[in-house]
Amino acid sequence: MPRIDIDAPGTSVLLLGNEAIARGALEAGVAFASSYPGNPSSEILETIVTVATERNIHAEWSVNEKVALEAAAGASFAGIRAMASMKQNGLNVASDFVSNLVMTGVGKGLVLVVCDDPGSLSSSSELDTRNLCKWMDIPLLEPSNSQEAKDMTKWAFDLSEELGTICMVHSVSRISHTRTNVKLGELPKTENKAYFTDIYDINKPGRGKFTTIAGPAELHNQLHQKLARALDKFESSPFNQYTGPDKAELLVITSGACVAYSAEAIAELKLENKVGVLKLGTTWPLPEKFVEKQLARSQKVLFVEEVDPFIERSVMELAANLPADSPHLTFYGKRSGHIRQYADLNPDLAANAIANIMGITYCPRDVHYDEEATELAKASPLRSLELCPGCPHRGTFWAIKEALRLDGRDGFAIGDVGCYSLGGFRSGYYQCRISNVMGSGAGISNGMGNLRQFGFDQPVIAVCGDSTFYHASVPALISAVYNKANFILMILDNSATAMTGFQPHPGTGKNAMGEITNIVDMETLCRSLGAHVDVCDSFDIKNTIATLLRLMAEGDGSKVVVMRHECELLRARREKKRPYQVHVDPDKCIGEACGCDRLCTREFGCPGLIWDKEAGKSKIDESVCSGCGLCVDVCPQGAIIKEAV
Amino acid sequence: MKVRGSKELLEEIIGSGLCVYCGACSGGCPYLAPYKGRVVLLHNCALSQGQCYQYCPQTYTDMDELSQQIFGVPYGQDEIGVARETLLARSTNAEIREKGQDGGVVTTILSLALDEGLIDCAVTSRMSVDKTPAGFLARNQEELLKCSTTSYEASPVLEAYNRIPKQSTEKLGVVGLPCQVRALAKMKAYPPENRVNVNNIKLVVGIFCGWALLPAEFHQFLTENYDLSQVVKFDIPHHPEHTFDVYTKSGKKSIEINEVRKFINPACSYCPDMVAEFADISVGSGRHKYKGWNTVIVRTKTGAELMELAKAKAALECQPLPDENLINLKQAALRKKKRALANIVAKTGSKKNLLYLGVSPALVNKLLT
Repeated sequence: MPRIDIDAPGTSVLLLGNEAIARGALEAGVAFASSYPGNPSSEILETIVTVATERNIHAEWSVNEKVALEAAAGASFAGIRAMASMKQNGLNVASDFVSNLVMTGVGKGLVLVVCDDPGSLSSSSELDTRNLCKWMDIPLLEPSNSQEAKDMTKWAFDLSEELGTICMVHSVSRISHTRTNVKLGELPKTENKAYFTDIYDINKPGRGKFTTIAGPAELHNQLHQKLARALDKFESSPFNQYTGPDKAELLVITSGACVAYSAEAIAELKLENKVGVLKLGTTWPLPEKFVEKQLARSQKVLFVEEVDPFIERSVMELAANLPADSPHLTFYGKRSGHIRQYADLNPDLAANAIANIMGITYCPRDVHYDEEATELAKASPLRSLELCPGCPHRGTFWAIKEALRLDGRDGFAIGDVGCYSLGGFRSGYYQCRISNVMGSGAGISNGMGNLRQFGFDQPVIAVCGDSTFYHASVPALISAVYNKANFILMILDNSATAMTGFQPHPGTGKNAMGEITNIVDMETLCRSLGAHVDVCDSFDIKNTIATLLRLMAEGDGSKVVVMRHECELLRARREKKRPYQVHVDPDKCIGEACGCDRLCTREFGCPGLIWDKEAGKSKIDESVCSGCGLCVDVCPQGAIIKEAV
Repeated sequence: MKVRGSKELLEEIIGSGLCVYCGACSGGCPYLAPYKGRVVLLHNCALSQGQCYQYCPQTYTDMDELSQQIFGVPYGQDEIGVARETLLARSTNAEIREKGQDGGVVTTILSLALDEGLIDCAVTSRMSVDKTPAGFLARNQEELLKCSTTSYEASPVLEAYNRIPKQSTEKLGVVGLPCQVRALAKMKAYPPENRVNVNNIKLVVGIFCGWALLPAEFHQFLTENYDLSQVVKFDIPHHPEHTFDVYTKSGKKSIEINEVRKFINPACSYCPDMVAEFADISVGSGRHKYKGWNTVIVRTKTGAELMELAKAKAALECQPLPDENLINLKQAALRKKKRALANIVAKTGSKKNLLYLGVSPALVNKLLT
């Protein structure tokens, strides 16, 4: 990662979209940055952290996105430019506050950066958060490369102050995680002083500026006026550009990552002279006059955008109000089925749509090759998401599986978001039967804990991670205690927000800056809430099973089991060596014979174990095995040997 | 017989109300585990044939084959099986007698076998503090005494046997109910693989059994009515008494036997073996005026040698089994056989389908008349 505080305006640097966003915030003089880890947004805060000390910026991982935005708003109200960044799911968590923030307005510039994950490669849902801007009246900027990511973020702070409202920069995985050249701007040398001016004035008593109760409707009206002013600015924004022939056979309207896909598709099809591209960067409110002018270039319009027909519908609305004698426009996009309304796009999909509309054939590769390649792909084994070798969750889910089987009352587990989401996959033995948003595991199972009167007696085990616990599960635990639910919560404490990149959290004792900080001790917290707490080691399967069986048999009350064992990747990075050298003794391994039937490779399934079909024995894959030794306890023949290194 | 796998074991036996919770299917692999009265499949075993099915006493059992293997005679010639000698016996050791169910004979002969090095380890059933029975490995008299008296519940002793490391060379004595003794006989006929060597078993002691109680349900009943940590012994005195007695440190409480009969394992109604016919020595309680004595049936050369040793060392006090007692014993044993056959045929609807029982049609007809 290059230093993003290089003081060399005009220099070109290769930056990730997220790094560029961070740089843009720096160039705007941001002094408060808050976030919660979430792919594809995490690097934004991580990048700011690298320069925070030198540039006197407060950078933090907040406990969740709502608090992150509230914290940033606090800074903004007190006269400090602030930025909150998150993924699409995080926006949902923050949205209650957003809906009020748009009413109150802001102090100094407040920018909300939301990074969507089209294709939901790392998310539990697929959402196009641009819609929130339409819903809650927020000026929206969509960068199409790292340069724009920087420039738009920088501008967003000025815009926010000029308009007096929060502004959103919308990114997607492809923008956030692609590197393109960025010409750097100037870094401000301002000193930031925080002071909240709107205190009670004894001479002129009156309501605070940043309150919303009783009167939001009028504030809503004022908000619309702010958006009208934004519209004015957007009409002449350089972020909206047309490229192509004066009159085009087809006008492609696009934004974000799709700008590049469209350009590549048109070049591939060699249609630069026939197909024009209207690239939009300010997409809410839509710069209507500007767009109207571009619509005159063609009678065919194709919308190339990801997930929702956000621009498509806005333009269609616009078109519905064109003068009666305007040329008839044919729209192509999601409504026509030319562009899919889910998952991410790519140049191929854009090319297919354009070719179809233009009536030409698009055959990117030889038909025979295509057939052969498709056939060959079928032979590729289905590769599931897997827990890492050495992951403590493997021990936890193995114990959950056996405990539920022994208990015999059709019990099940409910999980949610994190590495332990794999509890619902083969790697976690399909134990988590329900999985939704952060903290929903606890919430849902707490609800099921109050179904006694309907004859419900299946044991339910809620599973959450350590970071998720602080983020979202605590209210569910409080509710369970308060409403006397039968409630068992396993907190998988691997000392990290692992799934998103091992960021620290309130239980780890370190903050985003790497400084030592207060630990919010989860056992103490849970006990103080009135829950009974047990602590187990995820690698001690026997004890975990015994604990779970006892808790399930007891039935009533709220119980927490902290499964404590460090994430293997953290441990490996720090210790730089395996704890054990593990191997399978082929003389002891009985493989497929009765008494084992390949338990380690067929059922337990750690990626570090492989089945040697010819020899009929299991083997350790030395390049994958982490040397944790958990499989040693699982082997029924004692054929797996671990030797301390 | 067609040996099948765990899937079929679960369907045909465990899921069909035929499981006697003997433990023969468990302990030798990570897939099956006995827990609170149920045999649980922990993970999915994909084998189409398994030792769990093979040694289960409730899967097809050729009784003649087993009888020939152990005694060299066909099955069914005597109501109480092969009997070299029948007698009454009791321990000469006061502590053993005091802690025993009746005469303490099982504890005595196992203790003797351990002392003489005939066995290194006894596989028996032991009750926990809350009176849950499970398999236990005893290596001296002190440990054996912890196994004294019965819970009357099915106890998965053979799981403990199966768990013994396969490289172990310890000589073993195993105590079991008739169903467990039958499972051991199957193991001897078809020695297991990847497990402790069945030839390590030097002695099999069988316990007389009319029926066993369902562990989970009966235990629930007991917990609701008694402080089990205070209980020292359970006993069912013989007919015409009709109680189930619970001895605590402060005295005896009696339950109507019919209250307890509700908890009889239904699988027991298909069992024809009251006296553990395939054991070396079978032991039951003495009746009426022989309360405090055990009825003993010596079956094999091994059993006979051990009994001789016990007499020679004066570890046991013995007397001949009175004719009246022998007659009653045979009648009781025959009644159980007849009842079992009748129940089996009622369940299957055909004399040709005897569930697991492989006996000659002639014997079937004899028992059904």
